[in-house]
Amino acid sequence: MTIQSQPQRSKTAQLSVWLTAACMSFAAWSQDAPQDGVYKDRIDWGLLMDMSGPTSASQGIWVNGFRDYMRRVNEGGGVFGRKINVLAEDNRFNPATDKIAYEKLVSQTPVIAISGMGMSASQVALAPTIKAGKVPIVGTYTATKALSEPVSPMVYNGFCGYKPMAQAGVGYHVDMLKLKAPKVVTLAIETAGGKEYHDYVAEAVAKLGGSATHLTVKVTAVDVTPQILEIINLKPDLITIYGVSNTAILTMKGLAQYGLNIPTFGITYLGAPQMFQSMGAQAAANYKFISCFTPGGVDQSAGNKAMSTYADSIGRVEMKQDINYVAGWVTAQMATEALTKLGKNPTRARLVESLSKGFTVNSQGLAAPFSFSASNNAGPMVFKLLGYDFASSKFKPYGEFADYEKYTR
Amino acid sequence: MFEQVFFSGLALGSIYGLVALGFTVIFKATDVFNFAQGMFVVCGAYLAVTAISILQLPFALAIVFIVVASALLGVLIHMTLIQPLLGRPMLSVIMLTIALSIALRALIEIMFGPQGRSLTTPLPTGVLMLGSVRISYLHLTAALVSWACMAGFGLFFRFTSVGLLMRASADSHEAAVVSGVNVNTMNRLAWAIGSTLAAVGGLFLGQLQIASTELEGIGLLALPAVVIGGMQSIPGAIVGGLLVGIIEQMAATYISPKSSDIVIYVLLLLILMVRPWGLFGQRELGRV
Repeated sequence: MTIQSQPQRSKTAQLSVWLTAACMSFAAWSQDAPQDGVYKDRIDWGLLMDMSGPTSASQGIWVNGFRDYMRRVNEGGGVFGRKINVLAEDNRFNPATDKIAYEKLVSQTPVIAISGMGMSASQVALAPTIKAGKVPIVGTYTATKALSEPVSPMVYNGFCGYKPMAQAGVGYHVDMLKLKAPKVVTLAIETAGGKEYHDYVAEAVAKLGGSATHLTVKVTAVDVTPQILEIINLKPDLITIYGVSNTAILTMKGLAQYGLNIPTFGITYLGAPQMFQSMGAQAAANYKFISCFTPGGVDQSAGNKAMSTYADSIGRVEMKQDINYVAGWVTAQMATEALTKLGKNPTRARLVESLSKGFTVNSQGLAAPFSFSASNNAGPMVFKLLGYDFASSKFKPYGEFADYEKYTR
Repeated sequence: MFEQVFFSGLALGSIYGLVALGFTVIFKATDVFNFAQGMFVVCGAYLAVTAISILQLPFALAIVFIVVASALLGVLIHMTLIQPLLGRPMLSVIMLTIALSIALRALIEIMFGPQGRSLTTPLPTGVLMLGSVRISYLHLTAALVSWACMAGFGLFFRFTSVGLLMRASADSHEAAVVSGVNVNTMNRLAWAIGSTLAAVGGLFLGQLQIASTELEGIGLLALPAVVIGGMQSIPGAIVGGLLVGIIEQMAATYISPKSSDIVIYVLLLLILMVRPWGLFGQRELGRV
């Protein structure tokens, strides 16, 4: 053991104070917070989505929309001079992979915030960790109850919610078809979100004095004949589909093969032009999807024009029509606005503090404006149905957002 | 409802029977338990996508393309992979067919992407109403073509000289070789027929459902079909396929969609325990 003399100890302490002060002043000068994913010239932002696996057809497109918006922001100089660096992790439709990827974005390659979280099973599994953690989820893909309830300052929904989807889709069809005591079938893949979506459909139908039946299908199914036969048996007035693109294609082809003309609507992310084209005009005639977003090229709103122009300029002419692309674009806008509010010194803590005070996202027509507050993180709440016009190869809306407000407000 | 489910099961079962027949032809001729038979179905569906959607060939020409390409695939696999393993333990050959199945799936996903492709052919669509029973023309066409193929190959094996040589090779390789039969050619022909029958099944499944690598699961229903019907029996494969299709649809409708696999494989286990040579197979007796 070495015993230091009094002057020596004093010198060591002095040196420590100098070193600490030097480090602090250097940090203040560079405004870095690498532990939060903030660097002198960039901010790291995380994405957790299925970029491979059965749901990648929709979630992969969402990632493209998010990246393209950020690319546009970076081309315009970034946020206060810092470029947004998107670190996208592929969870491969596997909650275990999602858990590893989440930890990576929290501590190994830290990001200021995360968007996406596309897999409902992962949301359920990770919800307690996210809510108790320090990295906010800004702009979820469709959020489950486990993640979005009760309201947490760590979670902000950026996609159309299951509950308003069910309310708007059922409400509109019941009004249009003048149904009394409607019989509805939910055809859903076997996931946490599928059961939750059906529960919301059943709730909405029950309020109208009707009944809802839940039919399940494997996420990788290539045969839905038993479900179609059950539909023949049940004779529903309306069908709603929760699943992947193949679920909707197989169902609509199956219904057409058996000559069944039953109005059907899919959840938001089952709204891609390729899906309708795969169904064919005959099978797609009864199919619409319910959406809180407007696909590219459908209207002339400022937001839609800006997105369409940029998408066209980088060769995303077809993709801009995919509802998932629009959703990714709007979520990136939400992320950028959240960062802009922080000024020149963003950190995770400041982002959480700023978000929890509430903010509004105005996408100038791509979605109806939506607001967050300390007691509301539901995200987009106004919807409309869209079908596909094979003659013009474009989506056509059934009414405006305002026509559907009564079902969800 | 029963009639509706029964007919749908019969239509799908006809396709399973076709695929199972291909499996049995290969097994009888070469003693290979081909776990890649499900992927041959997938190959058929993607050959149809290539011919109809990508190359946009006239339908008749597309059929020729599918038949020739799938037959060549079978011959190629036999020549390059199966023939060199002649005389090796059965386990090695089984492992090879499993590896082949995995490799084919990966190759298709690289070439066509992981997402399924929709297949539209000029085959008749629409519905025939028989009382309250809805019969899809597409299902009906699939069933009729499958039965025609099964009948055609049945007659081929029974009444043609090549069919006779194939049966002779299948019954005893040694005796066939001694009699001057080119067993390798017969075996290649068996692989060509097996892969072509699976490809025809894939064409219909791709049209009825979607062209996807997940069709392999449906194609592999040929395995319980041949075990139930009898591994060495051509009529057994056909009946086994029909049974599997009907049981699958009945279980899915009257119990739950998840229960169909359980019911089919419980039946398979029962057959293996009670009558291991299958419903139409012949018990093999060995002399000591």
